[in-house]
Formats: sequence, structure tokens, C-alpha cells
Amino acid sequence: MQFKFACKRKRCSFKNVNFTPLPSCQDGERYKGRYTGLSVEIVDPEQAKSLYDNGCFGKGSKSRGGPASGDEDETLLLGMEESCFLAHYLNVLDITNSAGCFMDFHMFVEVAKEQNDTFVENLASYVYLKSKNWVIKSGIKFGGDFLIYKQSPRLYHASFLVIVQKPGDSDHYQSKNLKGVQRVAETSDKDVLLLTVQQPKNISCPRNLQEATVTETIVRRFNYLTFVQSKQQ
Amino acid sequence: MDAKTQNSEFVEIHPRNSYLSAQELIAHRHTEFEPASGGLKRTQNEGTASELEELKRAQEYLRAQLSVPRIERLGGRALAIWNEEQQVAEVIRKDGKFENFGYSEQGKLYLEYYEAMFLLEVGRLQLEYYGSVVSIEQAYVLLLGELESERYTNYLVYSALCRSGYIVVKHVPPQEIPQEITSADCIWALLKEKVADQPVPDHIRNTPFYHIAEKRMEEMKERITSQKIEDPDIVIEPIDLKFGQRKRMAEESPIEEPVSKKEKISIPGRSLVDQLKSEFSYAKFEEIFEKFELVQLKSQDYTKEELETPSALKIIFDLHLHNKGFRKSDPKTPNFNVIILPSQAAFPTHDEISKIKQQNLRTAPLLVISVSESKQIQAFLYYIG
Repeated sequence: MQFKFACKRKRCSFKNVNFTPLPSCQDGERYKGRYTGLSVEIVDPEQAKSLYDNGCFGKGSKSRGGPASGDEDETLLLGMEESCFLAHYLNVLDITNSAGCFMDFHMFVEVAKEQNDTFVENLASYVYLKSKNWVIKSGIKFGGDFLIYKQSPRLYHASFLVIVQKPGDSDHYQSKNLKGVQRVAETSDKDVLLLTVQQPKNISCPRNLQEATVTETIVRRFNYLTFVQSKQQ
Repeated sequence: MDAKTQNSEFVEIHPRNSYLSAQELIAHRHTEFEPASGGLKRTQNEGTASELEELKRAQEYLRAQLSVPRIERLGGRALAIWNEEQQVAEVIRKDGKFENFGYSEQGKLYLEYYEAMFLLEVGRLQLEYYGSVVSIEQAYVLLLGELESERYTNYLVYSALCRSGYIVVKHVPPQEIPQEITSADCIWALLKEKVADQPVPDHIRNTPFYHIAEKRMEEMKERITSQKIEDPDIVIEPIDLKFGQRKRMAEESPIEEPVSKKEKISIPGRSLVDQLKSEFSYAKFEEIFEKFELVQLKSQDYTKEELETPSALKIIFDLHLHNKGFRKSDPKTPNFNVIILPSQAAFPTHDEISKIKQQNLRTAPLLVISVSESKQIQAFLYYIG
């Protein structure tokens, strides 16, 4: 059976004609972010808008999606994987820590690993999916690691709920866990994508991710009753 | 009914020899019991009087339901004898169609335990064991075993799938028929070697066709690479020879085309989430996207030894559809292969699935059926990249 997935368009009139999937530095000016201990904050509202419009990065600190509250003090919050991607793979972002010092790749990864011990796996999955033109958002509200969208969360519903695992992990293969997450995803027309990431031995520079490998598994509930009935006609 | 008279030593027996009337027969065949309505969720504590009363009522209802005299037609049933040693039921007398059940051996028809149990439950079989008729309750113990085993879950899945309209048969591993190697196979193998770096298997290399195909391919290559030089020659040469060449080219070219087509579909190392690459926005930014195409999809190659060690997963049944012209004697590729997961068992991982797929080349999609503790069954389909 050929695999097909759902790409449901949202009912809205929002149209951004000149959006691009990736931001680029205009006039050689790089985006400036400040690491707050939880996420990377973009303070300048223009930069924030530009980052959100081009690739839907981050989340407004006072809004559900992009910065939309109109308040002057609203900032754009970037997740750890996104900011790492923007800073060290796309090379458009400079991250400084609270003391104002520039954070290089190694330092940033160390800090992020303290926060989340599967950061490297998550980062590898992020880069993997990003290279395939997906818009990636946090999947915490559906109980996974990421939600991936076609084009923009404003235009489409998420197609997949992504769960990132290490090779030995069996947690998500437990019957009740898999069925649970599967049901949650199914009610909102998504598929569960399990990514098992073999992380590189050491990660000191961005290119080290080349040694990482990924396997994809999609498990879908199958209604054997309706299938056989549909075939009998 | 027998009654005892106190004063005499004799026991008087009143045999019941009246028969049920036709109406009674019909009525008893379709006794229907309405389940007591559940109502709201109970909020009493355990052990209270009202709870006990409700439990008692529920039990009485169950008893009433079970103790209704049941009437079934004796005719229209096949007769089989259970063979304990071989754990099969041998069919003595057939009745009705048996097309999708059982297997024949030396002119005799045998039923597997799950088939016998299923036929028994739908009232199409009378099973005998050492000369006496086996009741359904007894059959559960006799056929499925007294101890807990996979037989019960297998039967559960079998009966559910059968009832929903599939033809369920025992899994037949796809047989490796020692196929005669044609020159087409040699061309395929050569192409695979050139394009996908797969070594040519020995059994193909040893055929006489191989060297011919190899030589021809070299010639073709030569002709393609040195096209420009040859071009003027062709113009000078007589027309009929030009025709001949053109014709030969047409013959060869379709062989190369299916390669790419086949690869697009069947190579397991393809990502499942590549679709957005065909978007306009991807094409526009392709260079940048390719720059961070760092993480690779893991390609799985198993050594021969790894493939020979049996995996923990076992394909139990094959599913066929009724309207696909299934024949017991010559089953085609099934629509699904069924793997049964007992309750509590973890789901198979990517590696396990890809291994079982490689072990059974040419198989149908895998259907993983999980049986929960409450004996509900649920099916899952796996897609792996």
C-alpha cells in the first residue's frame, strides 16, 4: 500500500504572497538573539516579524502563533533547536548569553544538553526535517516532540506528530503509549512519525551531524472492517 | 422428570417424549435477551447492600441467559474427529462448502484447531473425540489447550477476521522457486551493479547468459558514449542499416526505464516525508536546503547470517480478499500478512519490521494486530522509510 498523508488546508483568507521558507540576512545585518535560560529571545520587533514571516520561526511571547498582540514589549521566542539551526546551519543568527557574550556552537549545545538530554537527537531530527522543507513547531500540545506543517501553520494543519527516540528506546513502542499517542494524533488528522536517531559520536561542530542517521516509522491504525467492506463493492 | 415416591422402593421415571411444536422450535432458535440497561455510573461504595443486590441481579440475568434451552439444526453440519496427537481435526463427512477451510493431505481433509473452533462456534461442525460429541465449552479446552497460550489469541484474531469477511489462511512463506535465470535477469543484475552498487549474485554470474549480456551492455555503452564520432558514419551508411540500428535501440531502451520506476517504488531506503520537495518554494531555495541536508536516512543492510536468524516476530496468517479469486490449491500473494501481538507486548520497532520485510521478499503489507487485555483486537499498518 502506498503511503499518503493528510495535508488539510485551514479555512482562512491569510495570504502572504512574498513569503520565503527561510530567512536571509538583509543588508548583511544578522539577527540578534539573547539566550534567556529557556529559549532564545529576539527583542527587535522588525527582526522578529521578519523571522516569523520567512519560515514561521519562533512564537510570540504574548501570542499563540507569531507575534500578533501589537504590544511593544512582545518578543519572539525561539526554541532551542530552531535557534541552533538558525545560528549554526543557516548562519543568520547571533546568540548571546545573559552576560552578553557570544555563544558558539559547542557552548550552545552544552547548555541545551543540560536542559534536555535528547537535544542532539532533536537537533538532528530538526535539521533532517528542515532540509525537506517542513515548518517545524513544538509538539508538546499533542504529546510529541515536534509538529510539522506544510508551508505555514497559518495555512495548513500539521501533517505529522513527530516523536524522536534514541536507538534503544522502547518507551514509545509500549502498547499503551503508542496507542495513546496514535489516538491523539488521529483525532486531529495527523500521523505519528517515529524518528529513531543514531547520534554522532562527538558533536563539536555543526558538520558533525553528518554522521547521524535516522530511521522513519509511521504506525497507523487500520480499520480492517471498513477496508474489506469497501473492497467488496 | 423423575419423582421419588417415599413409600415404595421403586423409582418412577417419567420419560419426556413429547416433542416441541414447530412454533416452539422457531421461538427457541432465536431467543433474544435484552441486556439490562446500565444506567448512570454507580457511586455506592464497595460491599454495600445495594451493590450486592445489583451483582445478584446481574448474575441471575447471566444464568437465565445461559440456561435457555437451545435448539440447533443437526443436519447441515460437517463431522470431524479431533486427532489429539497431530492437533488437527480430520473431516469425516463434509456438508456445505468448505472452500476456504482446512487443507488436504493424502485425500483427507484436515482442519486446524482455529478452523475447527470457528466452524464449531458458527454451528457448521460437529466435533467428536473418542466417539463422543464435544460441546463448545469442552472444545475450548480441547482445541485451545488448558494452559494459557498463543492459541487463544490466534483463534480470537482468526474468528474476528473471518467474520469481517476476509479469507484467513495459515501463513505460507513465499517459496523460493529455483527460477530459471533468463537473460533479462542478467541485465537487471548488471544494471543494479552499475547503478546501485549491488554485487551480482553468484547464481546469475554463472549462467551462460551473463557474459553475453555483459558484452552487449559494453557494446551499448560504447555506442552511447562514442555517439558523436559515429554520427557521421551513419549518414554515409546505406539507409536500411540505419533502420536496423534504430530498431535495435528501441528494443533496448525499455529495459533501462523500469529500473528507475522500480527503484522509486520498492527501495526501502526512501523517506516517507519527502513530498514537500516538489513544492515551488523548495525549488526556489534548493541550494540552501541542500546545504544542510546532513542527516541521512539509515539504510539497512543485513548480512546473510542476520537474515537467517529468525526474528521474534512471526507471521501467523495470510489475508486474502473474497473477490480476488482465491484458490486454496494455488494461493496468490496475499493482501496482508498478519502478525499477532499479545497484550502487553511492545510494538515491533523499525529494525524488526525492516528485517522481517527483507526476510520475506515479495510479501504483502504487514498488518500488526494487537490483542488487548480485554480481548479487543486492533489492527495497525506500518510504513517504514
